[in-house]
Amino acid sequence: MTGAPFVILKDVAKRWNGQLGVEEISLDIEEGTFVALLGPSGCGKSTSLRLLAGLEIPDEGQILIDGRDVTTSAASDRNLSMVFQSYALFPHLSVAENVVFGLKVRRVPRAERAEKMARALEITGLQGYESRKPGELSGGQRQRVALARAIVAGQRLCLMDEPLSNLDAKLRNSVRKDIKKLQRDLGITVVYVTHDQTEAMSMADKVVLMKDGRIQQVGTPDDLYNRPVNTFVAEFVGAPPMALIDSSTVDGFEPGFTLGVRAEHVSIVPDGKGRLSCTVSEAEFLGSETLIGLNHAGTTGLSVLQPGLSLMPEGAHVDVTFDDHNLHKFNQEGERLAGT
Amino acid sequence: MSGVSRHIEAAGAILLALIWISPLLFAFWAAFHSTSDAVNFNVTAPWTLDNFRTAWDGAPWMRYFLNTFLLVTVVLIGQFILTTLAGFAFAKLEFPGKNLVFILVLMQLFILPEVLIVENYAMVSRLGLFDTILGVGMPYMASAFGIFLMRQSFKSVPIELHEAARIEGCGLLGILWRVYVPLAKPTYLAYALVSVSTHWNNFLWPLIVTNSPETRPLTVGLSIFGAPENGVDISVISAATMMSVAPLLIAFLLFQRQFVQAFLRAGIK
Ligand SMILES: Nc1ncnc2c1ncn2[C@@H]1O[C@H](COP(=O)(O)OP(=O)(O)OP(=O)(O)O)[C@@H](O)[C@H]1O
Ligand SMILES: [Mg+2]
Repeated sequence: MTGAPFVILKDVAKRWNGQLGVEEISLDIEEGTFVALLGPSGCGKSTSLRLLAGLEIPDEGQILIDGRDVTTSAASDRNLSMVFQSYALFPHLSVAENVVFGLKVRRVPRAERAEKMARALEITGLQGYESRKPGELSGGQRQRVALARAIVAGQRLCLMDEPLSNLDAKLRNSVRKDIKKLQRDLGITVVYVTHDQTEAMSMADKVVLMKDGRIQQVGTPDDLYNRPVNTFVAEFVGAPPMALIDSSTVDGFEPGFTLGVRAEHVSIVPDGKGRLSCTVSEAEFLGSETLIGLNHAGTTGLSVLQPGLSLMPEGAHVDVTFDDHNLHKFNQEGERLAGT
Repeated sequence: MSGVSRHIEAAGAILLALIWISPLLFAFWAAFHSTSDAVNFNVTAPWTLDNFRTAWDGAPWMRYFLNTFLLVTVVLIGQFILTTLAGFAFAKLEFPGKNLVFILVLMQLFILPEVLIVENYAMVSRLGLFDTILGVGMPYMASAFGIFLMRQSFKSVPIELHEAARIEGCGLLGILWRVYVPLAKPTYLAYALVSVSTHWNNFLWPLIVTNSPETRPLTVGLSIFGAPENGVDISVISAATMMSVAPLLIAFLLFQRQFVQAFLRAGIK
């Protein structure tokens, strides 16, 4: 127990034929935590994960796992497991053989193998499916086989690349909880790639938000939601995302920077009493509340939440207000201003 | 319209099949009848097994069978090893000059084996393998067709499986053995079929490179048995021919369905 982070990436870069892959990736991951790599498509999440796994070798930088420099070591020497988006189950092997594949390769004695497999199958609820081939399983069952294979060897680090993206929405929710519980119970470190912010925000202890091959912000879900470091993060995180307002549009602010405000902090007030006078662009009933999109020159993504069903006609005029202490301030480059 | 053309197509196919199989049918029929009946096409003549008895006593067939069996086995094993390794290298590894080497390998397909007989003969003699079964099989082991086939088959294996195996701790040869080879099973089966039937029937090269009954395969043995200086007896020769083609023929008839499926799955038609 040195207290040093379990996984360390230092200024890691990977380029494809000189083109940008990922750049300046620096990240500390504590043991036993759940870290989500989040970002839009093509931002380099999978690349970062593959660098960590040893499936790609970085052009620059250093990777340490458990205090050991593994920058150039083979994937098999890194003592980690991985769940692939496509699950990557071996189609010619049964469920049981798939799960113990790695143990067999590593020459674990037969008795120990059987014991570990039984445990992994029990945890993932796959008993009774041992002799099926992957082709004879449903998508959700395949996903669980992939999970079982990842946990069977007891590796302390597990990498997952969009493991839920091939499941339907309902199943995704339940498996999400299962994975989170599994990670807690086993005390393993999980690095989880996703483009779905609900997944990232609900599961992760730490979220890494990426864009164009660079890390934008590393922090707890609370940090990302309530203290976005720049307008990209502000606009990416949250549903609906944060509204951005040019400061010159609002009375009492000097021009030259951007204000951010979340829909839950915007409220509708009687005509003439608001800070902004907007027109309704759309109204969306979400069940417990209604999301009303608003238009106003100099703003993007402005919206307000109304309780229950309260649809408003398109083009209607509403005045809205918000408190200064709920505002986020960003400078012209889009970076968060200190002290806000 | 389409009905008529379908009938014509079917009739044509049956006619072709009949023409193709008629020599075999005649040999089969002749093998079970006395020579004079066979030559005179005496359809009602009685059946007999005498020809088989005569033929069997006329040459060391058991030895020839064994030789042919050893030959096809040795060739097949050699081909499996070499084409697997080479196909894997061409499909999944990066090395300088890969494309050039691959083209050179494919050029083999344009060269008739008969053209190389003299060169191969010299090489086999230099290696001291003249008149050995290994010497008969050696020139066919690095089969360009096989390498190409394995490369195509390995190329179709999803890269995630390769990566998953790497993460699970497999080395390169481990991945080849545990992932690629099992997934290419239909290709191996189809290829084995082509290889075994080719080398079971191969004649010219074994004739040249073998010299003794201890190494001679069936085809060479049969040709010596049927050579004119031993006197031509159509029925006995037919019986001997039936004996030598029987194992393959029976195997094909029994496993026809599996064979066809293997070909379909391997994508060779
Ligand atoms: N093998 C490769 N060769 C060339 N470019 C690559 C390769 N792999 C990834 N890239 C590029 O690197 C960038 C990052 O890709 P990456 O797969 O990491 O994105 P991602 O964040 O996982 O996206 P997604 O959510 O769509 O999976 C992309 O622009 C991609 O085109
Ligand atoms: Mg990806």
